[in-house]
Amino acid sequence: MKVLVVHAHPDPESFNHELMQRVVRGLRSANHDVRVRDLYAEDFDSRLTRDEKRDHIAPPETKPHLAGYYDELRWCEALVFVHPTWWGAQPAVLKGWIDRVWACGVAWELPEGAKRLKPTLHNVRRIVTFTTHGSPWRINALQGVPGRRIANRSLRLICHPLCRTRWIALYSMDSSTPDRRERFLRRAERVASRL
Amino acid sequence: MRVLVIHAHPDLESFSRALLTAALDGLSRAGHDATVIDLYALDYPGGPTRDEWRAYETESPVLDPMVAEHVELVRSTEALVFVYPTWWSTMPAIMKSWLERTMVMGLAFTLDERTRLIRPGLGHVRHLVGISTYGSPRWYVKLVNDNGRRTITRTLRLSTGGKARTTWLPLYTLDSQTPEGRTTFLDRVRRSMEKLS
Repeated sequence: MKVLVVHAHPDPESFNHELMQRVVRGLRSANHDVRVRDLYAEDFDSRLTRDEKRDHIAPPETKPHLAGYYDELRWCEALVFVHPTWWGAQPAVLKGWIDRVWACGVAWELPEGAKRLKPTLHNVRRIVTFTTHGSPWRINALQGVPGRRIANRSLRLICHPLCRTRWIALYSMDSSTPDRRERFLRRAERVASRL
Repeated sequence: MRVLVIHAHPDLESFSRALLTAALDGLSRAGHDATVIDLYALDYPGGPTRDEWRAYETESPVLDPMVAEHVELVRSTEALVFVYPTWWSTMPAIMKSWLERTMVMGLAFTLDERTRLIRPGLGHVRHLVGISTYGSPRWYVKLVNDNGRRTITRTLRLSTGGKARTTWLPLYTLDSQTPEGRTTFLDRVRRSMEKLS
């Protein structure tokens, strides 16, 4: 399967970065065709620009600076996100990748007179998120699970009609033991290898 | 009352910008002392850096003078008002970045050394307000969980100790709104901000 891994964590020495490497190892062990976008490593600018906003229903050819990102989003069959959950959701840098790359003519269209955008990202059949939460599960439930719903609903609804989603999370990261974290890494690698 | 208004839209001619103006208009009519943080105008960074992340759980998590200034503004405000367009069911990245960089340990919450659990730090914030435009109709926004709203009225509200009152002013299906629809909404925003107490 063609897999696009999108990773957002500012520190290459972080647990989250290790998580990304283990996920990629799991995917490669199953002979998937894997491409990795490490957004912090390439200093990705998360801020949708004024021109991108003004041209937001113009065809993708009008934004050649994003062509590489568009191509790989259209290329992949599975999207794998690896990121920490901050303020209940994806880090700003990853949100910015969504804001800028999930563009008209790439992920959706807006037919004349339509009230809602028309999904076109039918190549994506899996969305899998590997994440860590500082707080326990119940705090995330109180927060209304925004991050999970952004990936598994807002993005999912633009993908293939039968697209399946998973959310693999380590909760209570702030109070976790090294043993629990290691077990989570092993679980993540196993899940990735069985995608 | 001191009110801190945070705005994110890249275009000065956007409707979101008009909403900001309407909100400020209402607040000033009621005699509130409003301060605006216009993220795009400030060329605000798109996310915390590696050094900021490493400093996050230390005694001094703030490295950027602009962030220090915003932390002081949050400390002395009684209301937070967010004005932004909803993209992909939540706030623009630049506003999420503002939350991540400003709402640090020691401001938004404190970490209890014994239990390793976080405790709320925004008890002084009595109001949380969101003013947002959506491309989608209301039913679709509900279906995808209205995640920006939840981030503010739930996640951020937890940091106030669950005490802050919340006001949410949404305008759905922005693209097919008539000029009258937009004007009505601007009036609603103005009136609502005038009544904030």
